[in-house]
Amino acid sequence: MSDGPLIVQSDKTLLLDIDHPLSVECRRAIAPFAELERAPEHMHTYRLTNLGLWNARAAGHDAEMVIDTLIKYSRYAVPHALLIDVAEQMSRYGRLRLEADPIHGLILVTTDTAVLEEVIRAKKIAPLLGTRIDNETIAVHPSQRGAIKQSLLRLGWPAEDFAGYVDGQAHPIELKQDGWKIREYQEHAAEGFWHGGSGVVVLPCGAGKTIVGAAAMAHAKATTLILVTNTVAARQWRDELLKRTSLNEDEIGEYSGSKKEIRPVTIATYQVMTKKKNGIYAHLDLFDSHDWGLIIYDEVHLLPAPIFRFTADIQSRRRLGLTATLVREDGMEGEVFSLIGPKRFDVPWKEIEAQGYIAPAECIEVRVNLTEAERLAYATAEPEERYRYCATTRTKRDVVQELVSLHAKEQILVIGQYLDQLDDLGETLGAPVIQGSTPQKVREELFQAFRTGEISCLVVSKVANFSIDLPEATIAIQVSGAFGSRQEEAQRLGRVLRPKADGRGARFYSVVSRDTIDQDFAQNRQRFLAEQGYSYTIIDADDVFQGKI
Amino acid sequence: MEIRSFADYLRSLDDAGLITLFESRSDLISPVPSDISSLAVRASSIPSLVRAVDSLNKWQLQVLEAASVISEPFTEKELLQCTDKSAKFALAALVDRALIYIGHDGYRLPGNLREVLGNEVAGLGPVASKKLKLKDLDNAPAASKKVLDAMVWGPPRGAVADVKKPNPGLKWLLDEGFVSPVNQQTVVLHREVALHLRGNKVHRELIAQEPQLSGRNVETKSLQLAAISNITTFLRWTEEVLNFWGQQPAMALKAGGLGIRDLREITQHLGVESECASFIIEVAYISGLVTIDPDDRILPTHQFDIWLSYPASVKWENLVSAWLITSRLSGLDAAPMGPELDRSIAATVRKKVLALLDGADSLAPTSDSLLATLQWNLPYRRTGGVPAEYLHWITREAEWLGITGQGALSPYGAALLNNRDLTAIDSDLPATVDHILIQSDNTAIAPGPLEHEVAEELDLIADIESRGAATVFRFSESSLRRGLDHGRTGEEILAFLKKTSKTPVPQPLEYLIGDITKKHGKLRVGSASSFIRCEDTALITQILRDKKVEALGLRRIAPEVLICTHEADDAIHILRAAGYLPAAEDSQGLLLSGPRIQRAQTKARPPRIIGEFENPSEENLAIAVRTIRTGEKSSAKQSTLRDISQEALGSLPRSTANETLEILTHHLRENPSKSLSIGYADNNGLVSHRIIDPLKISAGSLMARDHATGEVLTFRIPRITGVATL
Repeated sequence: MSDGPLIVQSDKTLLLDIDHPLSVECRRAIAPFAELERAPEHMHTYRLTNLGLWNARAAGHDAEMVIDTLIKYSRYAVPHALLIDVAEQMSRYGRLRLEADPIHGLILVTTDTAVLEEVIRAKKIAPLLGTRIDNETIAVHPSQRGAIKQSLLRLGWPAEDFAGYVDGQAHPIELKQDGWKIREYQEHAAEGFWHGGSGVVVLPCGAGKTIVGAAAMAHAKATTLILVTNTVAARQWRDELLKRTSLNEDEIGEYSGSKKEIRPVTIATYQVMTKKKNGIYAHLDLFDSHDWGLIIYDEVHLLPAPIFRFTADIQSRRRLGLTATLVREDGMEGEVFSLIGPKRFDVPWKEIEAQGYIAPAECIEVRVNLTEAERLAYATAEPEERYRYCATTRTKRDVVQELVSLHAKEQILVIGQYLDQLDDLGETLGAPVIQGSTPQKVREELFQAFRTGEISCLVVSKVANFSIDLPEATIAIQVSGAFGSRQEEAQRLGRVLRPKADGRGARFYSVVSRDTIDQDFAQNRQRFLAEQGYSYTIIDADDVFQGKI
Repeated sequence: MEIRSFADYLRSLDDAGLITLFESRSDLISPVPSDISSLAVRASSIPSLVRAVDSLNKWQLQVLEAASVISEPFTEKELLQCTDKSAKFALAALVDRALIYIGHDGYRLPGNLREVLGNEVAGLGPVASKKLKLKDLDNAPAASKKVLDAMVWGPPRGAVADVKKPNPGLKWLLDEGFVSPVNQQTVVLHREVALHLRGNKVHRELIAQEPQLSGRNVETKSLQLAAISNITTFLRWTEEVLNFWGQQPAMALKAGGLGIRDLREITQHLGVESECASFIIEVAYISGLVTIDPDDRILPTHQFDIWLSYPASVKWENLVSAWLITSRLSGLDAAPMGPELDRSIAATVRKKVLALLDGADSLAPTSDSLLATLQWNLPYRRTGGVPAEYLHWITREAEWLGITGQGALSPYGAALLNNRDLTAIDSDLPATVDHILIQSDNTAIAPGPLEHEVAEELDLIADIESRGAATVFRFSESSLRRGLDHGRTGEEILAFLKKTSKTPVPQPLEYLIGDITKKHGKLRVGSASSFIRCEDTALITQILRDKKVEALGLRRIAPEVLICTHEADDAIHILRAAGYLPAAEDSQGLLLSGPRIQRAQTKARPPRIIGEFENPSEENLAIAVRTIRTGEKSSAKQSTLRDISQEALGSLPRSTANETLEILTHHLRENPSKSLSIGYADNNGLVSHRIIDPLKISAGSLMARDHATGEVLTFRIPRITGVATL
């Protein structure tokens, strides 16, 4: 019996004891093929998935290496059936290859004719294929490169894509490291992406995903299309690129509702891309308007469905997805994998926190009691109104007011879902409210004032969930959310994770009504962060009023 | 003594010879035959011969086939000529088994053995009726040679379009008599011709050597680790399935066995594939840990509780030893615990496979090589060898059980097969842990096999999320509620967690437990048959204390409400009898006035009318008379016949079954066309006299034409009381 840090379970999960002296070494060894599922305080859970194993094959690891690693670090005997399964799954990858052929264009080549025969008979695949060239080769319609990869993956015979990428129009881009330095993990992430060709980089909020994007652009040295969630984010990207790279203002264009600039580096919003005019997507040409060498998808967990469809058509361009949480409430992780690419880099939040790149945060759930009258009203509310009712209960207002006064000297964000609740809070707290209808210009002014400390408290709706860079915010108070959305909770915490100038920790309060579905949703929302190692403390509203925090 | 028959040969054997025979054919002495002639009868009976032939290996079978092809009696030299020199040793083994015996004039085969070996042994056709000029074969036309090439190694039959219009090649063969027509579309190649063309050898290749097993060697350490992990896993699976059924029994199918839906439930519960789940269930079933009770529920037995208290080595031995000897194959496509899983050869094949692995040291043979070796050892002529899937199932099951580890026999498996001590399992098992690690995402991890008591308690209050050497538990509202339902209190749960967890219990979990405890049991549900309500609480109290209505079993659940175990009608009667004035209330709370007028809920079914018989038609009357007359005549004839046969029966000598058999065999050989007179006992032991023409003896029965009916009937030889020729 060895005394390794890893426990290999028969259901293909790997439990890593992080208090073990070999845990760091072991994590490095298993990271190429196992996906990190949860990273709470003591035992991290990794999972062996088919995607992960194929991914490892793509990166040049073979089954023997995987098996050796498992056996080497395992504390107990590794189930034999699991080892067989690993070898079996890994051997499925690479039997089919997509290649570029000088005569026939895109072709599907196999080393195993039986597999090819199987896939060309599949209903979903047949229409994507062209003429049979010989026993081992068949032509593929070049436009179907994405679709065929998707379908083959679903059949369990993933194709290795050797057809390569177009370089795109060259454009000189360099990182300009004056007065700052790219962090080690950012460099690893950018390199991991570049060697993999395309893929997704997962980094916690505030860990500098923009810089990973910039580093990737410096690798590509080509024209780049950046897709972001909204205009504020687009401006932040522009500012950041100007600061961190050799690009100047004329080289960066914004393509949004208000501006339609196409430059060597163009930043477009999802909203404008998916805007329909007379039933057709009016701005699709953007994808073809330039010979892009790189396409960056910011906040890839929010990517709207139409963008996936466009992405299927541009498989020959390099694609980089950036996100903090590859959790999609709509379960479209598989689409992200096959169309943007596999996960190329992932690191537990707590590890980055330990390196000091994101602020340590404390999560606190404040439970408020509904008054007797409120409870009765809640009990009789229509089912679809219930969440709204308990999330916006009046009692919360008093608690928020108390919390704000307790942290009067700090920069505070109050985040909520329901506009009338936010307006009400804004009035009570005497703080400005930013919501969907707030004009772009006003938003930026307010954010600027918040950054400089002119305003110490902002009330924001979900427009501020993502990509808003507010480094000095140290306190976030969440009063209501989009039901049980896990990624929203993580993104909101992300607003306060930027490292503070004085190294102060951040606090994230979630105000929840006791004994209602608000509490159930809160539990679901907290799951992602709990799995990342953030533990919540629960306190009572009365403790707040007595200043016991 | 001159050896004229098989029985004589057996009589000539000394004690050592008989013991050798009984060792290889143990069925001959269970039960012990009364004398040598009954032994001879049994040894040449078809079931015993089938068993003996099935126990031969490929090489011995080939030699036996060769012996059955050449004409009797034969010499050793003749046999070696049509096989090869090594056959000498096989011959000795066959003689030991009395599958070949030594008569006064040479070697012979016991009767029935050819029948057991089947037609067209070794792909050889029948002997030609006339002498063939085999030398002419060398000058056969090219077309004929092609035909011969196709048929020489069997099967000896060939299909043709029309025998009457053969192609030139075939025509020559037919004309020369080398090939004969069987029917319009089939021809057969004669045995002499095939043997001649085979160079006077029966088989293309005599496989005297057992094929070597090949595969990879498993390192002792990893072999042992793998086996231990398999053993722990299997014991855990068994425990989990039975605990699951202990809480929610499955229902057996009408036809017996576990239904597909219940199987799927187990499959999901364990997180294994369904073949594996079936096997786990089967093993628990054959070990007596689970049973189907009279109400068709599938439930763990008391034996299971006893089993639980054993150390792992004994638990394992219990399961594995039941598996070793069972004739059931859970790999078959039928319901586990059902009646359709038995295969007579299962245990033999299993034993052989394990013996092969035992001899292979720590080699993990490839399935092809194992199959080849197995089929050499058990050539099973009827089924064409052991089916490959049986082997697949057996090796798979051995792996699940931990008898093998990574395909090679584990030290524990070897100990089991050789009856050695198994306690090494207990010391080699990973040490159990008595603690868990609770994390802030409401999971708890047991970083190793948990101690039984801790695991049981945790099972109550948490759901298992991942199984293996370690276990991951998740606490949720429903899992904690389950604990409360089982009588745990919130404080107890928390105290237990604090005691078992090495890490502090996260605050959110503490809150979760608190919240659930607070809510649990707030709503109460019970059953009552009727209620009594009254706004006057004094009256309610009075009724509750009234001895006259004690029979109602009243309980006060609110100041104004009593519940009652009796139906509303009865309650009203009893209350009225006690002098109260109750009124009935319907489900909406409306007062019901007066007795309700009732109507039947079912459809009317008036009784059947029984009428007079109709007058029969003339035709029907005529038929009736005719039937009665015929019957009358027939019974008169029967009684005359009975008289005659009773008379004849008196003169019949009584003979034992073995004597009868000898007389009949002799009669059939010497003058088969003559009729016999026999006494035959029916099911009730009544002996009747029959005149018969014997046709054939097979499988302990005599086929004969009965003169009385003219039909061919089967007479069971033990029931024939005596025989006489007419």
